[in-house]
Amino acid sequence: MPTNRFAHPRAPGGRAALPVGLLAGLLALAAGPPGAAEEAATYFRQNCMSCHTIGGGRTVGPDLKHVAERKDAAWLEAFIVNPKAKLDAGDPYALQLKEEARGAIMPPIAGMTPEIARSLLAFVAAESALPKSQFAGLEVTDEPFAAADLERGRALFRGGAALANGGPNCLSCHTVRGLGGLGGGRLAPDLTKVYERLQGRRNLASWLQAPATPTMRPLFVDRPLTNEEILPLVAFLEEAARAGGEDNAPTQPTFLLLGLGAAAVGLVAADAVWRRRLRAVRRPLVGGRHD
Amino acid sequence: MNGIAHYLDQLLFGALPYAALLLFFVGTIYRYRAQTFSYSSLSSQFLENRQHFWALVPFHYGILVVLGGHLVAFLLPRQLMAWNGVPVRLYGLEVTALAFGLLTLVGLTAIVVRRLRDPKLRVVTSRADWVLYALLLLSVATGLETAIFHRWGSSWFPTTMTPYLWSIVKLSPEVGLAAAMPWAVKLHLVNAWLVIGFFPFTRLVHVLVVPNMYLWRKRQVVRWYGTKPSTANH
Repeated sequence: MPTNRFAHPRAPGGRAALPVGLLAGLLALAAGPPGAAEEAATYFRQNCMSCHTIGGGRTVGPDLKHVAERKDAAWLEAFIVNPKAKLDAGDPYALQLKEEARGAIMPPIAGMTPEIARSLLAFVAAESALPKSQFAGLEVTDEPFAAADLERGRALFRGGAALANGGPNCLSCHTVRGLGGLGGGRLAPDLTKVYERLQGRRNLASWLQAPATPTMRPLFVDRPLTNEEILPLVAFLEEAARAGGEDNAPTQPTFLLLGLGAAAVGLVAADAVWRRRLRAVRRPLVGGRHD
Repeated sequence: MNGIAHYLDQLLFGALPYAALLLFFVGTIYRYRAQTFSYSSLSSQFLENRQHFWALVPFHYGILVVLGGHLVAFLLPRQLMAWNGVPVRLYGLEVTALAFGLLTLVGLTAIVVRRLRDPKLRVVTSRADWVLYALLLLSVATGLETAIFHRWGSSWFPTTMTPYLWSIVKLSPEVGLAAAMPWAVKLHLVNAWLVIGFFPFTRLVHVLVVPNMYLWRKRQVVRWYGTKPSTANH
């Protein structure tokens, strides 16, 4: 009988697993708020924390504490789902936000839906009611960084020191002035002035906790930088900004010239290696001269 | 969201790969079963040999190394990242890769010029060949542009493009990873899917039937009837 296929000795246990799983799921649903809050907190950490605090003051973007008192839910929800649409429509409050952020525009968040936006707003409201939110922001020292921090930051940026959670070194995609060698990557922006662009240590450090651009987010969401890495990197970028200017090392022609040189060597080598084989045998064959 | 761009991304990086891979597998298998003896590079070596050397040799060595590099980044991303963890090693790898990319360009350009210039060769060049050369030229050009202007690919490929390619394999394409790239990289990628889809209809099928045993078989001595013993070197 065909149904016998399912009468496997292990089947009862396998079947039992399903109701148990369902039950656990239902219990979690019934418990509601704790699970949902945890999920929202994770989402906030991965997508929002790089630019926003809850009760810690402005970083790149505005402090979100009691945000619901500043604007109604429908507006906030629409803005979170598509910040650029509000700006393009010339919405005065959106333009004011852009002004306050010195021109920085909130990037669209991949996969954002009105439902997620609503649960985030609920989460922010709950956190706003607390005496101190878990997202009150970083405490960053005003003391000058030590030379050791600088060196460590340089190694983390360039490679030579691996990132603890397995993320790629900054050099893969970014460059700063004075890196030496052939410089850094050109996939992403030059970071010489990022310290100025983000207006200082605290914003830069916050940003590095959970970089939220479409390119960086997927890389670092599972491999976040640790605080022991963020501070040296901030030290390194602060120093880079102090030196000023964009990355001005003439590395692009150097790299191309090295490649051209190596290719030329390859051609000469090929000519030397195959000089006799292709020309001394095959052409006489075709021409009918076999001697 | 920008609606049209969104659907275009889905089409080019989410749907096109599967269309290309389907064509590739169905096409190559069908052609091998139905027209086994058409599996050939259709070599034109005997028609013209002088320019051929400067076309064939740089192109094949170049493309083999460059494609091999892409394959390593796809299969061994962690090991590649570990190698690139030291700047000098990264620079060495990138310069080497760029040199082989340039050799590919030199070879491919010579291939196209040779076919254009020699009337005998134009006769044996099909429309599909010209389309293929255009696709390959675009591929090499955008690849070099990426290598030079969007450095350092050997470090960002394993962390960004490798997850994208594996997401294709796992049947849940993460289109966002590809869509966030600069346009040269996107063009390179789209073009690569087109080459894969077009593959079964071209002389590229010879890639699948390379007589690898030639590399280790014994030498063969060729003797000619009716002439005095050869003095040429073999």
